Amino acid sequence: MTEKGSPNHHPEIVEAGATMTLDELCLSCRVEAGWILELVEHGAIEAIGRSRSDWQFSHVTIVRVAKAKRLERDLALNMPGVALALELLDEIDELRSRLKAAESRR
Amino acid sequence: MEFKDYYAVLGIDRSATQDEVKRAYRKLARKFHPDVNREQGAEDKFKEVGEAFEVIGDPEKRAAYDQLGENWKPGEDFQPPPNWDAGFEFSGGGPGEGRDYSDFFEQVFAGMRQRQHAPRGGAEFHARGEDHHARIVVDLRDVFQGATRTISLRVPEIDESGHLNIRDRTLNVKIPKGVSEGQTIRLKGQGSPGIGRLPAGDLYLEVSFKPDQLYRVSGRDLYIDLPVAPWEAVLGASVKTPTPAGAVMLKIPPNSFQGRELRIKGRGLPAGEPGDLYAVLKIVLPPADTDRAKKAYEDMARDLAFDPRAKFGA
Repeated sequence: MTEKGSPNHHPEIVEAGATMTLDELCLSCRVEAGWILELVEHGAIEAIGRSRSDWQFSHVTIVRVAKAKRLERDLALNMPGVALALELLDEIDELRSRLKAAESRR
Repeated sequence: MEFKDYYAVLGIDRSATQDEVKRAYRKLARKFHPDVNREQGAEDKFKEVGEAFEVIGDPEKRAAYDQLGENWKPGEDFQPPPNWDAGFEFSGGGPGEGRDYSDFFEQVFAGMRQRQHAPRGGAEFHARGEDHHARIVVDLRDVFQGATRTISLRVPEIDESGHLNIRDRTLNVKIPKGVSEGQTIRLKGQGSPGIGRLPAGDLYLEVSFKPDQLYRVSGRDLYIDLPVAPWEAVLGASVKTPTPAGAVMLKIPPNSFQGRELRIKGRGLPAGEPGDLYAVLKIVLPPADTDRAKKAYEDMARDLAFDPRAKFGA
């Protein structure tokens, strides 16, 4: 369905430094706080702050949590598997961008 | 309607055991998962594999499917016979939530769908809508000019009768000037609708750049290959160089070499602190396709004491 004559949406850039609370993160991704805790415990995402009550998450974490959710659901991964997959995907991204940079310098 | 050969999709024999089916599915699902495989078409393939497994991986649906496909030949138009599924008992649920299926699947297995009902009656229920995530590929030029792009999203929705439908939704999105690769942009209120009095969720778009014909992107910096004649590189010259914000005259210092990077400050991606544009010199040899050109090369060979392989030693 095309929304005819729909207005132009003016998105905002999510600044790299923006953070959100545990509740906001759970709400955004529709996941339980316990599941986020597991992600943190396995080092799949990072929480800023010492105690759970004042945990903050970098805004880009949303994308990572959503990805973790898809991986868990679609590939029937357990938490260590999700953490490993995310880490390996990071590494591939890093290597790809280095490859791209190296190619552009040729 | 086209008959779907689910066995071919999973790359297995019709006689495969349920364990073999599961193994084949898991392997393909890992390979084509859109978060793992960035190639175009991976997502479609992933969905196809998932659909095939939903049928073949379930012994009841598989039995029904096998009977259905007995007399079918590849390429033949397919219509399910009336009441084809009579006599089969389906204990499992219908298609999973939020997935879209081929026409074939919809027509053949739609009857096995479980109806989903929205919560109704009782206490009032309020919840903020879920945020949605998608990837958006933008043109480098749009990043400079901040153009408006139309993007298509596929949204699963539950209609009044409780059926799950996939709705194509198009949105006009203004690409913010100076957005960089890997950055996320947010469209407020464009996620799932809220329930009760609470607002809708947001739509997050992860930005990636479409490869550009001229420019390569590295962080905020851009690179462009700049072809120059040998004499321009050696003697120095001023040459017209394109930049996304319009051409500039670039001074090439004498004795420049192949691959030298000349920086044009501030002509990279726009930002508070804009990136730079690097012109990478590519020395292009003039062809010796006329007598005069040949003579010029012969003169050089004679007049210059030049050994390009001096480093090799004797």
